[in-house]
Amino acid sequence: MKEIKQSSRLGEQYTVIKHSSGLTLKLCPMEGYSSAYALFATNYGSVDNCFKTGEDPDFLRVPEGIAHFLEHKLFESEEGDAFTRYAETGATANAYTTFDRTAYLFSCSENFAQSIDILLDFVTKPYFTPATVEKEQGIIGQEIKMYEDNPDARVFFNLLAAMYHKNPVRIDIVGTVDSIAQIDADILYRCYRTFYNLNNMVLAIAGSFEVDTVLEACDRILKPAAPIEILREQVEEPKEVREKRVEQHLPVAVPLFQIGFKGDAAPSPEENMLGQVEDEILMDIIAGESTTLYRQLYDEGLINATFVGDAMASRDYTLTVYGGESRDPDEVCRRIVAEIQRLGSQGIDPDVFQRTKKAAYGRYVGMFGRVESVAGLMVVTHFSGVEMYSLLDKVASVTLEEMERRLKGSFDTTRCALSVVCGG
Amino acid sequence: MSYEMLREPIGDGIYFSSVTDPKFKHNRLSVSFVLPLSRVGASDNAVVPHLLRKGCRECPDFSSLNARLCQLYGAVLDADVSKYGGYQLLEVSIRGLDNRYALEGEDIVQQCAQLLASVALDPNLDEDGLFPAKDVELERQYVMDTIESQINDKRGYALSRCMQVMCEGEPVAVRRYGYRDTAEKISARSAAEAYRNMLEVAPVEILFTGSGSADKAKEIFRRRFAGTRRSPGNYDPVRLRETPGGLKEKTEEMDLSQGKLVMGFRTGSITTQRQLYGARVFAALFGGTPFSKLFLNVRERLSLCYYCAARFDVATRLLTVDSGVETANKQKAQDEILAQLAAVQRGEFTDEELANTKLLMRGNVRTMTDSLSGLGGWYLTQILRGQNLSPGEDALQIEKVTREDVIQASGGVALDTVYFLRGHSEQEAAK
Repeated sequence: MKEIKQSSRLGEQYTVIKHSSGLTLKLCPMEGYSSAYALFATNYGSVDNCFKTGEDPDFLRVPEGIAHFLEHKLFESEEGDAFTRYAETGATANAYTTFDRTAYLFSCSENFAQSIDILLDFVTKPYFTPATVEKEQGIIGQEIKMYEDNPDARVFFNLLAAMYHKNPVRIDIVGTVDSIAQIDADILYRCYRTFYNLNNMVLAIAGSFEVDTVLEACDRILKPAAPIEILREQVEEPKEVREKRVEQHLPVAVPLFQIGFKGDAAPSPEENMLGQVEDEILMDIIAGESTTLYRQLYDEGLINATFVGDAMASRDYTLTVYGGESRDPDEVCRRIVAEIQRLGSQGIDPDVFQRTKKAAYGRYVGMFGRVESVAGLMVVTHFSGVEMYSLLDKVASVTLEEMERRLKGSFDTTRCALSVVCGG
Repeated sequence: MSYEMLREPIGDGIYFSSVTDPKFKHNRLSVSFVLPLSRVGASDNAVVPHLLRKGCRECPDFSSLNARLCQLYGAVLDADVSKYGGYQLLEVSIRGLDNRYALEGEDIVQQCAQLLASVALDPNLDEDGLFPAKDVELERQYVMDTIESQINDKRGYALSRCMQVMCEGEPVAVRRYGYRDTAEKISARSAAEAYRNMLEVAPVEILFTGSGSADKAKEIFRRRFAGTRRSPGNYDPVRLRETPGGLKEKTEEMDLSQGKLVMGFRTGSITTQRQLYGARVFAALFGGTPFSKLFLNVRERLSLCYYCAARFDVATRLLTVDSGVETANKQKAQDEILAQLAAVQRGEFTDEELANTKLLMRGNVRTMTDSLSGLGGWYLTQILRGQNLSPGEDALQIEKVTREDVIQASGGVALDTVYFLRGHSEQEAAK
């Protein structure tokens, strides 16, 4: 099954193919580019820590950090590690695990056919032994310690733990030294068989490559996977945040802060993803660089050039986060809350809305100009059930009324938490 | 695409360079002022781009400047301070959507170029020629915070400390934002003097990368620079000692759970292009790839760390190796790193390892041409090295490197400094 998706705004297109193995392919050849960027991803991340398949009698709770651990381990097979295999093709390879997905990637400017073979092969051939699991516990143990010393990571994960009572987004992606010590080969295989079913995965490629090369490799390497039903434990997450304020002491010069607003999650990931586009524009309307609030905070020395906003959305959560450095994070939080309340009662200035929307449009067009971001967008939109170009259409068509409606659900000032990392 | 850079002087010590490719959706224009690093002047210089970013005579108000950028489809106006060898680069840049995506037919390229020229050359100064006092105060604080916040990134901090210990007293050791004591002294007058000095003596590099036409931008800058009086200096490559004067060791403590080991090496006498490429390939084979000696041995075989990497700096010819390790494993990691160096020096690497390393380096060079920032960074570095090599030509030079070149390059590598940042001893004892 093959379908072409087009964007009249950009004059560009990509192809979606449901392969006979069960895998979805999203392929976007881009003219004039020297490199190709491939992502082989599964709809499986750190939040999937309690699950069962349609055939399992009971839910299985797995150690925290296992999705990330599995990502590390897949690089190893009986024939050696994938890095060594890629070494012969000249591709740059890597992988990452987020809250809701795990992706294996390579970027190359030659030998694409050999590299895609390696990618499809090693991700579909797990190989875990007690010795290799133990070796990885040492390496990931050091990775965990590295993040323990990283104030940017701490301020973020502490915020999520403060905002959520039960949703597993509150848990560190890498887990802890103790949790990863509980991981063994059997449990890795169990997770693998559930989430690395090809029907739960996507292969997204952008840049310089031929579609036929990919199809030929898929036909040759992939074995058909039986359809699978994956059930994730549903948690009853209260609307309120768990703690209003959390603080940790680490050696930093100026306190780091993040202010999070817990949004109303819609029942579908699709609505959450499109809502995220609106949230990003709203964040600029509230405290973007051109706002009066930003100017006041800056002029009073409450924020500096590190101040940024970020919106996140997934299957069952949406949140927005402002962060930066400040000597008085509590005051920054009070002022942002006051501005949201003002916008709620007085409405959004149409001029501010128009220029913020225009800026968002420029930003989104830019995303379609880089191979890695096109491939990344194809993955996240696939898992959310959104057509990729509809993000740009959403930015272009969003109205002031929609923004004002969204403000109430996404920026409820009673559901706000502050995370601070400071010295001393 | 061959990605050739067109380059021409448009004033006294002012060059305009451009590299274009229709595939890009944005255009980026940067103005870089190149000044020798000095301990006393670094902070005053560093505050200047940040003051320029606050507004210009045409758009004196910070909020209206930012609103204007929104109207230009979210054009990004940036101030940056970086370091190349013994030089400090002060940069203001703008990145905006190409005209073909403008919804109302605006000439975004021209408007961005005009705005950037105003920001760089027509700042909002008062009748005494000073920047607004309030802005100076805020940006002085920002420079101080940036200096002190270096400890937030433990890996970067340890690398920087190693460099300071290794090259004490030399310009390359000077931090890009200067020091707390120099930053504290930034005043409206010192910032204005730094700005005037920069306009008068710094070589200026204007670089256009993107899909649009660079011609209008070039003419705008030619015109805007026409009125400035200048006596620019040159920038010559820095020369550091080629061999260690004896091993320097330094350990410092901080509140952290993982130690950071940094080893600084001198790389001997490198006088030809061929030797330089030999050194680059050596560094990648030693510790610059996920199949390098350091990755496979220190990380994968001994499981001592998450990262262990070597980096060769072409500007200074210094090599650093850094790794995050438990304090108890520091000596073990250090011994293994030196053992792997000795192995390469003895020629203990396969032809396949060498071929794969070169293949990856070539691939990285080509891939870099797919991003505006990659291409821009490439050519600015070329300019600073006094050459104009395209990515394709660089790939060819990498290809020519032989086993003997790598062994020869490794032979010049000698340990100069070992820096270790560790947790407090009492904390570690309590674990």
